[in-house]
Parts: sequence; structure tokens; C-alpha cells
Amino acid sequence: MKFIGILLIVFSSVVSADGIVVDKVYQPYVLPNEIEFEWRLLSRQTEKGNVLGQRIAFGKALNEQLMAEIYLVGEETNVESFALQAYEIELRWMLTEQGEMWADWGMLFELEKRHRSEDWEFTTGLLFEKELGATSLTLNAFTVYEWGKNQKNELEAEFRLKYRYRLMAELQPAIEIYTGESFIGVGPAFMGIIRIDRNRQFKWEAGFITEIKNPVKDHSFRLALEYEF
Amino acid sequence: MLLKTINLFALILMLIITHKTKAATQEFRLTLKNHIFTPSEIIIPANTKVKLLIINQDNTIEEFDSFDLNREKVLFPKKIGRVFIGPLLPGRYEYFGEYFPHTARGIVIVEAKHVD
Repeated sequence: MKFIGILLIVFSSVVSADGIVVDKVYQPYVLPNEIEFEWRLLSRQTEKGNVLGQRIAFGKALNEQLMAEIYLVGEETNVESFALQAYEIELRWMLTEQGEMWADWGMLFELEKRHRSEDWEFTTGLLFEKELGATSLTLNAFTVYEWGKNQKNELEAEFRLKYRYRLMAELQPAIEIYTGESFIGVGPAFMGIIRIDRNRQFKWEAGFITEIKNPVKDHSFRLALEYEF
Repeated sequence: MLLKTINLFALILMLIITHKTKAATQEFRLTLKNHIFTPSEIIIPANTKVKLLIINQDNTIEEFDSFDLNREKVLFPKKIGRVFIGPLLPGRYEYFGEYFPHTARGIVIVEAKHVD
């Protein structure tokens, strides 16, 4: 827990910028032969208004350690109707076999380009999961670099935490913490797996994250649905 | 800020390296043949990490899956798959093969006083 505390302090003190931090807490695992379709929704309510973000993705395991995913990112704000905002390619790398070491480790690489503008974002960082009896602690520590014609070059850090109780496959309650971009958010989350047939399964995740650092209204609801086969 | 971030990653990488398990892990062998795991029950010691070596003798792929054990592992045909489990509390932990869940099933029994 001391280790987590250090991470939280470091990552919450080095950030400053503009984007949305609440997303998904990645697990450091890759299954060979896996193919997935994913849809994510994020609804953020602040005093300035609402932002609705959606992304669809197609992912495929390249081998036993690597998974690649391609995203289309759309966004709707108070002044703009829903439209394509960005494209993204993501690579997840499983560094250790699950359960072999003290904890399981992976890495994430993401490259995002804004639609119709020369603005880019590169994210990389570590994925960590530690099994603690019937619970699992998942941590993500990312460095984000932004550059382009319409944004200043900026290096940021983000930290995500999920502490999950493996109650049953279909329903696993959790607590999630997000820090980054002068934001610290905490809230309950849930996830589950619904098996369809053979290796086909449906994964769902939902979370309600509230900003706690600043005394302003800032609530996020996130939903992720994945179909794996 | 950059220096701080680099230092943090260095710290984390050190943790990865220093926490690598060096002690020999006890191995248990399972065979998958005709979509049946043999033996269907294995007994392992409590509070100990063990390695399951699963030999897939079938010509088809299988996926070892267990919510109880919190593990998923693809078992390629004619290959040996490694699944690390534990440390676990005494109890019964079920697993199955995703492609043939009616026949490919088994139980890991974790006992406080384990006898081979």
C-alpha cells in the first residue's frame, strides 16, 4: 500500500493539462488468438456542461504477448454535435506470465491523431496486477506526450487504479481511482464476464467517478462493452 | 517533471526485476486427451505457488479457464501449456476447457496438509 501511496503522490503532483482522464484500467494480459470488438462510452458532467465521448475498437492478438487495437474516437459537447474526433492505435504487451512472479506486468503503447488536424498524442506506461486472495489490484502508470499544430508540446502523467473483488464471473465490484490533468477522481465500478459459447464471451465494465481534488461539479460515468472470440 | 517520471519508471522496473520468483516451483502434470483432463482432480498444497504443466495431446486448440483460479490459458495442440496458480487457501477450485466445457473439466483441491 505504501508503493501505491508513492505512485499516487508522484502522479498527482506532476500533471497539468486539458483532457479527460477517466477511461479504462488496463489489465496486463494478452490471450493468443483473441479477437475483440469494443465500445466505450464516457459521459462527463461539469459546471461548464456535458461531454459525451464514444469509441469503437477492433483488437487482435498478434502473438502470445502482443495485442493490437485500432480505435475510432467520437465526441459530443454542448456546442458541437457528435462527430469523429480522433483515431488511435494501441499495443498491449504482456511482459510476464500470469501468476509466475510476485505480480503480473505489462506495457501499453498508444498513438492518437486528431481528425483533420496535425495534433498527436503518444501514451506509454506500465500495467500491473497483483492477486490478493479473492481480490485483484490493477495499476496503470502512464506518461503522455502531446504535440501538434494546435496544441503545445506537453508531457503529462496519469495513474489509474482498480481494486476488484472477484465475487462471481458475471459481477465483480471494484473501486477505481484516476489521477492526471489536475484531476483526482474516485468511485465505484463494476465489471463482469458473460460466457456465450466456447471461447466467445461478452465483457462489461461500468464506473461512476467523482472528482475530489477541486470543490466543483465533475462526475463521469464510463461504460465499456467487449465482445471477444 | 521528466526526471521525476523517469525515476519512477526506473523504480518500477527495479521492482519487476527484484521480485522475480527464484525458488523452484513445484510442478503438477495434466494431460488433455480426447477433450478430457487427466487426472481430473489434483491435490496441491495450501499457501504455495505451483505450476501446472498441461500437455495437450489433442489435435485441436483448447483454452484452460477458471474463474475460481483466476486463470485463462490457451493450450495449443501437441504443446505443453504452463499455468501458475496459487498461493491458495484450502478448498476446491474448478476449471474447464472453453471449447469442450462438458468433457474437459477438472478440480484443483488445495489441502493444508498435502500428500503427493
